[in-house]
Amino acid sequence: MRGAELPQLVDALRGPIQVFVRESRVRIALLVSGAGQVLAQHGFARGYHVMNVASLAAATHASSHALAGLAGAGRWEHLYHGGRERQLFLAPLRTPVGELILVVIFDADSSLGIVRLFYENLEKEVSALPAFQDRNAKTDHGSFERDLEAGLEYTSPEAASED
Amino acid sequence: MNELFIAAVERLSRVAGVRGALLVEGETGVTVISDLREGVNETAVAALAASLFRRTAAASETADFGRLNTLQLEADDGHVVAVDAGELILVVVAEHDAQLGLVRYEAHRAAESLS
Repeated sequence: MRGAELPQLVDALRGPIQVFVRESRVRIALLVSGAGQVLAQHGFARGYHVMNVASLAAATHASSHALAGLAGAGRWEHLYHGGRERQLFLAPLRTPVGELILVVIFDADSSLGIVRLFYENLEKEVSALPAFQDRNAKTDHGSFERDLEAGLEYTSPEAASED
Repeated sequence: MNELFIAAVERLSRVAGVRGALLVEGETGVTVISDLREGVNETAVAALAASLFRRTAAASETADFGRLNTLQLEADDGHVVAVDAGELILVVVAEHDAQLGLVRYEAHRAAESLS
């Protein structure tokens, strides 16, 4: 997903992410490409947090994908961490043009079941978006950093200028 | 323990008018075991019933009504009965014309055997 496509994708994702956050009552939601490019976010106060979480999510996604392959477990579905105060849900979001990564942080206002339910709805909604129907989703590993920064600048311009 | 779960859910599913039953982990809203007829969205029923049960339990405690035992939801075309089973919630989805008394009785019996 290159810089020229980014505004269109980010605009298209804004509505579905808002609905997801509202319905599932999560605190933080972040949608990134396989390269760690930020496509949508809700709830982050600082840009560097977004960037750190996006890169870690991309790395975790790649590791989980590889681990599932090595273990013969097929596609990985999601990772879940149930902390005492906050819980983390990380899952690949499949679209016709490739996988995105959803990172969600929530507390007792929501639950894993609710997040999974609305994650499934979000996946269907995003997959039906015209902006995700006809695109070259191939990721160039060399462009990782550039894509990451381009995403951050577009989704959180004020936060990106902090760095 | 697993056999106990299966037996409880199967017994409930055999009650006339019952479209299925499931045991849900109360905190996460994730299904432990289920026996649902085709067309019932298990993920949605488990997550939403657990969420509703937890919120109603909080409301009950806030109102000084004590611990919530049973939650019964009546809609135009059916019923959802959720019963406290310790850390789990037993959820029954029933048709509009199901014998609710029997559904509740069997649900409570099953929940008691599990908690």
